[in-house]
Amino acid sequence: MSPFHFDSLIWHWPIAIYLFLAGVSAGAICFAVLLKHFKLGTDAYKSGFVQAACLIAPLAVFAGLGILVIDLTKPFDFWKILLFYNPTSVMSVGVGVLMVYQVALFAWLACVFKEPVLNWNQGRWLIVDKLFNAIAKHEASITGFLVILALSLGAYTGFLLSALTTYPMLNNPVLPLLFLVSGLSSGAAGTLLGGVLLNGNPDGKEVHFIHNIEIPMILVEIVLIFTFFAGLILTGGQSQVAALTAIGEGFWGWIFWAGIVVVGLSMPLAFNLFMKASSKRKFSYVAITASCSLIGVLLLRNFILYTGQMTVA
Amino acid sequence: MSNSRRLFLKGACIAVVGASGFTLARAKSTSATNVEPACKYALVHDETKCIGCDACSIACREVNQVPEGVDRLEIKREGPFGEYPNQQFHFTRISCQHCDDAPCVKVCPTGAAYKDPKTGIVCVDEWKCVGCQYCIAACPYQVRFINPVTKAADKCDFCKETRLKENSLPACVSACPTKALTFGDITDPQSQVVQVLKSTPSYRSKTDLGTRPKVFRIASQSGEIEL
Repeated sequence: MSPFHFDSLIWHWPIAIYLFLAGVSAGAICFAVLLKHFKLGTDAYKSGFVQAACLIAPLAVFAGLGILVIDLTKPFDFWKILLFYNPTSVMSVGVGVLMVYQVALFAWLACVFKEPVLNWNQGRWLIVDKLFNAIAKHEASITGFLVILALSLGAYTGFLLSALTTYPMLNNPVLPLLFLVSGLSSGAAGTLLGGVLLNGNPDGKEVHFIHNIEIPMILVEIVLIFTFFAGLILTGGQSQVAALTAIGEGFWGWIFWAGIVVVGLSMPLAFNLFMKASSKRKFSYVAITASCSLIGVLLLRNFILYTGQMTVA
Repeated sequence: MSNSRRLFLKGACIAVVGASGFTLARAKSTSATNVEPACKYALVHDETKCIGCDACSIACREVNQVPEGVDRLEIKREGPFGEYPNQQFHFTRISCQHCDDAPCVKVCPTGAAYKDPKTGIVCVDEWKCVGCQYCIAACPYQVRFINPVTKAADKCDFCKETRLKENSLPACVSACPTKALTFGDITDPQSQVVQVLKSTPSYRSKTDLGTRPKVFRIASQSGEIEL
């Protein structure tokens, strides 16, 4: 079987990129919220890492939606998804979540960057002052809803695939959790990589804070991947066939073991554990760890999407 | 501060539970209050009579103007089984199963895939379809495709828009030279489908997925014994 062309393949790599970008967006904004709330406070906008996360989150979600629309067979009819609603469709519910998420996202960005924007404005346009002050008044609620929406978005990327009864490997209750956690870790990696590129201090408190969360998250991810495949194999039947085809020999087996397990999970984990002892972090260290993590998550999305569609119930 | 946070968390949890509960309740109630269709069309494919001549799929293409390269109906041929001169083939009909609980209808984000309330036929609203291909992935029978002309999802609709409108049987049923296909209303005890189904043991494909398909098959004895 050719890795990219087979009869039961319906959704191609653009969907994997979309799932990846939605996860990165949700993860990055979660870490921006955490950084602001626990470490930086009102000075958050000065940090390169928060700036990076605040750039990545909207850009990733726009790019993802753009890819999704172009991938439709009737791209100019995309507005019908917004107009018509089907409560039993995960995609329909997910589009709803995405729309509300973007509103909360921009409201929160307004709260974070209120000070620099108002300084730049210098009271020239009264409406800008009024708008930012009005939004900032509700910062606590906006932050809370944004986190809930971001987590929903991350889980939605998994539910979208797990709703497909056709494919036993995708129709799996662990998948939404796996995609949520790997989405969060890709968001952390994106924040770190973007932060150091935006001249953030690679040994700053932001990096230490994110790395502290990253280790347990990678461990959880490993446990989830193990549960995912162990569950499939124990279920037997076509589920077992699907799991063994995916992680067995062949192109996608290599992607799984070398790309996801070694580069995406083991290497960042090893780097993180190794770096615990010596505290000084360099630009190259942060950038390489983050890149490994990002590549791993991107490969995971493609791997699950393609191998998931190989075996039909 | 901690008080307001607690208040917020409580509020948010109530909102989430409320919203999801409302969605679920509405989804349940819409499916429950749906008027039972006036009739439910079903099809029986008698594999013991099928000779694999493809008259059905050719008629289907002509009547429904199915473009080249895609199929609403295919007859899959397996075999030959046995030694010459006692060789046999096994023929399987591949087309929409018109599930009573159709996965394509459940996943469609716009409602373009729907079950016709009058006939129980699973249909596609070409105009509403945006081409996300979620239904194509969701169909366990893999019979949906994108029509290269309309760019919308397409599949067998028991000739609802063509032959049924003229009060005649679906094209495949009329075209079959061995009368291997029986079409009719399964809610009507007098109909020919019900008579056939009551007199002969039949099976349906992938019933374990809970789709309740309305295409029944009468198994032929040809083919291999598989474990």
